[in-house]
Parts: sequence; C-alpha cells; structure tokens
Amino acid sequence: MKEERTEKKGLVSGLYGIQRAITILVIAMAFFPVANPAKICELVSGKISLFTSAVSYTALTDDLARAFRMNWVSETYFIIAYIGAVVAVLGIVATGAGACMSLGNARLQRLGLKFTILGALSEIAGYAVCFVSYIMLNGEVGGETRLVKKLGPEMPIGVFVFGALALIVLLLSLVIMSKLPKVTADMRYEMDSKYKLFLMFLPFAFMAFLFCYLPLYGWRYAFFDYKPGGTLSMKNFVGIKWFAYLFENEATRTDLISVIRNTLGISALNIVTQWLPMIFAVFLCEVRNMKFRRFVQAFTTIPNFISWVLVYAVALSIFSTDGFINTFAKEVGILAENAKGKNYLMGDNHTWIKMWAWGTWKGVGWSAIIYIAGISGIDQSLYEAATVDGAGRFQKIWHITLPGLLPTFFVLLLMAISGMLNNGLDQYLVFYNAENREHIRVLDLYVYQIGIEDGSLPLSTVVGMFKSVISVILLFSANALSKALRGESIV
Amino acid sequence: MAKTKQEKLDAKREKQYYKKHKKMYRTTVGDVIFNIINYAFFTVFTLTCIFPFYYLFINTISDNSLVKRGLINFYPKGINIDNYLALREVGDLGASFIVTISRTVIGTVLMVIASAFVGYLVTKQEMWHRSFWYRFLVITMYFNAGMIPLYLNMALLGLTQNYLVYILPAIVQPYNIILVKTYIESIPGELEESAFIDGASYMQVFTKLIFPLSKPILATIAIFGAVGHWNSFQDSLIYMQGNSSMFTLQHRLYIYLNTASNIGAIMGQSASDAQRMMEEALNAKVIRYTISMVSVIPIFCVYPFMQRYFEKGIMLGAVKG
Repeated sequence: MKEERTEKKGLVSGLYGIQRAITILVIAMAFFPVANPAKICELVSGKISLFTSAVSYTALTDDLARAFRMNWVSETYFIIAYIGAVVAVLGIVATGAGACMSLGNARLQRLGLKFTILGALSEIAGYAVCFVSYIMLNGEVGGETRLVKKLGPEMPIGVFVFGALALIVLLLSLVIMSKLPKVTADMRYEMDSKYKLFLMFLPFAFMAFLFCYLPLYGWRYAFFDYKPGGTLSMKNFVGIKWFAYLFENEATRTDLISVIRNTLGISALNIVTQWLPMIFAVFLCEVRNMKFRRFVQAFTTIPNFISWVLVYAVALSIFSTDGFINTFAKEVGILAENAKGKNYLMGDNHTWIKMWAWGTWKGVGWSAIIYIAGISGIDQSLYEAATVDGAGRFQKIWHITLPGLLPTFFVLLLMAISGMLNNGLDQYLVFYNAENREHIRVLDLYVYQIGIEDGSLPLSTVVGMFKSVISVILLFSANALSKALRGESIV
Repeated sequence: MAKTKQEKLDAKREKQYYKKHKKMYRTTVGDVIFNIINYAFFTVFTLTCIFPFYYLFINTISDNSLVKRGLINFYPKGINIDNYLALREVGDLGASFIVTISRTVIGTVLMVIASAFVGYLVTKQEMWHRSFWYRFLVITMYFNAGMIPLYLNMALLGLTQNYLVYILPAIVQPYNIILVKTYIESIPGELEESAFIDGASYMQVFTKLIFPLSKPILATIAIFGAVGHWNSFQDSLIYMQGNSSMFTLQHRLYIYLNTASNIGAIMGQSASDAQRMMEEALNAKVIRYTISMVSVIPIFCVYPFMQRYFEKGIMLGAVKG
C-alpha cells in the first residue's frame, strides 16, 4: 500500500515536471515572433509575437491599412484572428497560473489543474479561431491571383505547434487529475514557504527577463538584411555580411575609426582627470567655515541632477550668439553694439576638451561627496599626532588624507576604465552640430545615428554588439585586476 | 534630525578643540594666502554653478524689450510674469507636462514598492534557489543588449508609441534592490522572527514591519528615481518617434532648443525677412528660457530634501553585497 503511494507520487511529480516545462516553453514562445498563430497572411508583420498580436490590434494590422483602404479584403478576418489571439493568450495565462498552483498541496493542485484544463481548452479554441480566420481569408481571396499576390495568405504553422503543445498539456492534466490523492473537505489551500517566496518573486524575474534578457534576442538582426518595416526570414539571412561590411566598406571604416578615436579620447581625458573630485574634496575640507562649506557643497552638486538637455539650454543661454557672453561684451564695450556675436558652441576646436569640461562641471561636486565622506572617516588622531610632530597643511594632506582616500580612488578609477566605451548618448547628442560632428561622435551617438536616424538597423546592431561585449570584457578584467592587487572585487 | 544634532555637537567640539590648542594652530602668512586662494576658487566655481540658472531666471521675468536688446545681465528690470503665462499658448507643452509628471509619480511609486518587496524577498534564505534568482537580477546591471536591440524588443512587445514604455522597464532596478537588501539585512532579525511566531504571513511582515522600517533607504531611492524620471529624454526620443503627444518635457525642450537655433541660423538671408526672423528668434529665445526654467524649478524644489538623503545613498552604494 505504502509502496504504491510513493510510486504514484513519483509518477505525478514526473508528469508535473513535463507539464510545467511545456507551460514555460509556451509562455516563452508567445513572446517570440516565429510561429505566430495569428500571422494569417504575409502582410501581417513578421516581427510581432502572439503576445503582441493579442495586446495590440494596431500592431497586428499595421501593414494592412492600405489593403483595408483599397477594399482588397474585409477587416473582419483580422478581427477574428485578433480575437483568437486574445483567447489563446488568456488561456496561456491560465495555464501559467495553474502551473504556479501545482507547487502547493493536493487541494491547491486540484484547483490548479482546473485552471490548466480550462486554459488549455481556451488556447485550443483560440488557435482554432485563428485557423478559421485563415480559411475564411483564403476562401475569399483564393480565387483572385492579384489579391493572393498582394496579401499572400499564409498557413499559420504556429497554430499546429501551439495547438499540439496545448493538447499535450490538456492530456497530462487529465492524467494527473486521476492520479491525485483524494482531498478531504477540511483541507486548506497551502504551499511550502520556499515556493511561496519564489512565486512572489517570479513576476519581477519575469520583468527582468522581458527587459534585460529578451533584448539579447535582437542580436539576430545583425545576421539579416533587414530594413525597417521589413521582415526577417531565411530569404534575407546574410551571415556575417554586416560584420565584414563594417571593416571592408571604406566610408564606414573611416567613420568607425574616427568614432573610436573620439570615444577613447574623451574617455581618456576623463580617466586622466579622475583625481579632480578627490582634490576638490580635499581642498573643500580645508575650508574651516562650515556654513561656507555646506553652501559650496550644496550648489556644486546641483548640476548633477540637471538633465543634459537643460545643461545645453544653460550653455545656449551663456555661449550662443545672443547669450550672456556676447551681450555682456557689448555692454562693457568690448564688442560693438550692432556687431554679430560669436556662437561659442559652434565650431570644432577643442571639442574633446569642451565635452570633458561640461562633464566635469556637471559631475565634480557630486563625485566629491564620496571623498568628503571618506575624509570624515579618517581617524582624527592621525592629524593630531602629525600636528604635534610639526607637519604642515600640505604634509598632512600628502601623508594622511590622500593615502586614506586612495582605495576609493582606485575603485572609481577602475570603474571609469571599464566603462570607457559607455560615454552615454545624451551629452553628445545635445551638443552635436554640423560643425563639430567630426570630433563629437562617440560610439553611443554613432549607434543612434546609423540605427535610429538612418534606419540601418543591422549595422548599428553589429556596432552595439561589439560595444557590449568589449564592455563586459573590460569590466571583468578590471575586476580581476582589482582582485589581484587588492583582494577585493569591484562588481 | 538626530544626525544634524550630532553634527552640531561635533562642530562645537571641534571649535572648543581649536580654542584649546590655539597656539598650535596659529595661522601663518602662508595659511592666509592659501585660505584666500582656496576660498576664492570655491566661490568662483560655485558661482559658475549658480549663475547660469540665475541668468535664465532674471531674463524670463524681465521686460522682453530689454531682453531683446541684451540689457539683462545681472539683475532683472521691469519685473513681470507674462512669459510664464504665455507658456499656456505653447502647443503640446501641456501634454508633455502631464506625461512627465504622471510618469514621475507612477514610475517612482511602482519602482519603490517593487524594490522594497524584491529587496525583502531576496533576504529570505528559504526561498527556492534564492542565490540563483538574486544573481539572475543583479547580473543584468553588467550587460546591455544595446540601443537598437532594446528598441526592437520594445517594438516586439508592442511598447513603442505606448505610454507604458516609460513605466514598465524602470520598475525592476537591480541597483536599488541591492541597496534595499543591504539595508534590510541591517534590521535586527529578531523583530521579524517574533512577528512570525505571532502568526504573521510574509506579506504582513513586509507591509507592517519591513516597509515602515526601511523608509530612509526607500526615500533615497525614491528621490533618485523621481529625478531620473523627470530628466528622462532618451526613451522618449527613441521609443516615441512621431508620437509627439507622448513626448516628455525634456524631449520637448530639446526640440524647442533645436528649432530656435535653426531660426537663428536662417537669420541674415534678406533684409525684410531678417527683421521678421529676428523678432521670432528673440521670442523663441525668451520662451526657450522660460521652458528651461519651468523644467528646472521642480529639481530645485526637491533639492533641499534630496541633500539629506543622497550622502547616505552614495555611501550605501559603495558597500554592495
């Protein structure tokens, strides 16, 4: 009797394992555009997934606006396909909920199975509706070659893939249902706390998956000949064409070289002057008047909280043709009353240094805070002892303060080195103009310009891929270096 | 408040200490020169941080005809608030305001709640594969698929041209989760244990105990999150292409700044045209200043509150775990 029960238990948990695995697979598949059951004709974008089709009808029929306008086809079929997608996605959600409940006790498992069975049925119904919409569409336009050519009705393969999986889940659930131990009326819904905690965590892990891990799937665009609004299919698979193009094409190669030079140049300026906030903090702490010190600290930190767009607005108000510098020069008579002022933001001289200066102006007060906190953490008796020994101000700074701050400085320096490809987009985009384009284009700006502005997505994906991979390598090298030198990791 | 008291006490002690050891700390000529240079440097640098905002401000509240002649440099003349009232006429600005304010409020609230809750969950050793899931979140700080794959991903999820793109991706912030986790770990475990013995559930412990106790760190991340939302520009630029009713304030300001400089560039084509353009450009200039002022004022308003928290935040960030 007892043996039989454990055997049964093993069988149930095995079946549950398969059921959960398929449920997770289906949920994941619903986010990938391949095998979308609602793609009933060629004009339905190949970029959208089942999930997107169900969430947004506009996304589903994005490329069909012309077809509707020209009356090639009635909108009804697509509304039917959309309804099918919605029903199917609701079913998937229900099976997901059922799978979550399967982690509980027998009573909760029973409830979960009800969810799963209803969900699987609803899924199957949804896929069937999608398929019916395809049959109807095909029935209407099938006769006319002109329309077939334009719309390209397409057998939604996804219906069978998803449908088969839903069917398996349904059968598994029925089997498990019959094997589950009886539930007495006084049993309560319960679950182990380890699973309870996990299920509470799951939605957030799912969001991290959607916004951090799923984007990596976009790297596939690097291997296709893709234009905005087009589709990805084996027809336009080009392998490493774009990788080679980057280095073989004369124009992109020159661009890339100048972009890399700018990126490294501006980062190098920042890395070389990494000690500025530290010195700023050291000298600020030499100010004995606490009120003045607080005042300085408060106001030099403000620029850090201002967006780059606002920094640019400020820059314009001071340095542009009708900005402060020019009007002030006119007021004191350096510049003639009706002379045309000079716009200091145009022009391409010292662009790197200008960018560095803006970054420093914005960030130095903020970066100094960590050093100020570090200085107040240094043992005061060291200073007293040094004073007694007759050390001067600079001797104390050199022998006590700076060595005390060095570990912090080292960590921040390594972080700056590992982040040297990530200059950020905002600053360079707002200060970009026709005259300084040669020296201001850093990697982030370049990716933005060729990808979003010029629309060559594959090429910019390739550049972005290189950047991401090299950044990760740099970060881990810096970490390894830190471990080797100081026995502490920085990440 | 307790902290400031402590600081006052420290300052007082410091003063007494210097009084006691006056002889040792006698100022020399070198010290005086050093102090003058030091104070001068910090005064000048602080002025460069304040003056631009002051300059913008006095130009927006002065008589526009004086602004036009470039006569407002150090103090306002003919004070009025007409420019601020004129902002009502600027198309689309109201929509940007609503978008920015609502995303700041909703996005920050959701981010704080999520960070607190996840931060609490990952402190629980009994969670199923806790360390794996914790790493699953934290590791996302160190890699980035890149701008274009991220854009394509948002398109895949139907989030382009969609208000939700401002809210959803910013909810789970691993860095903030680490900060909250570190903070919660410093709360004595006995408190929680006694609550569990009294029969409280995880949810009850979180809402009644952990959430109220971690308010200081939540205030810190809330402030940083709100400033980030208020200053957001890139997501509007990339994900909202063409849908101008959904642009954030910073994006709108960026567009105004660019158009204004274009008008400036066209100036000097033909005499009569130049006159009209001049008029337009100057108007654009004042409006530009006013919009900048309006979008910077909220930062200045929350700044005094922020100051209390950010020192704590930056120090906690240094002790990651």
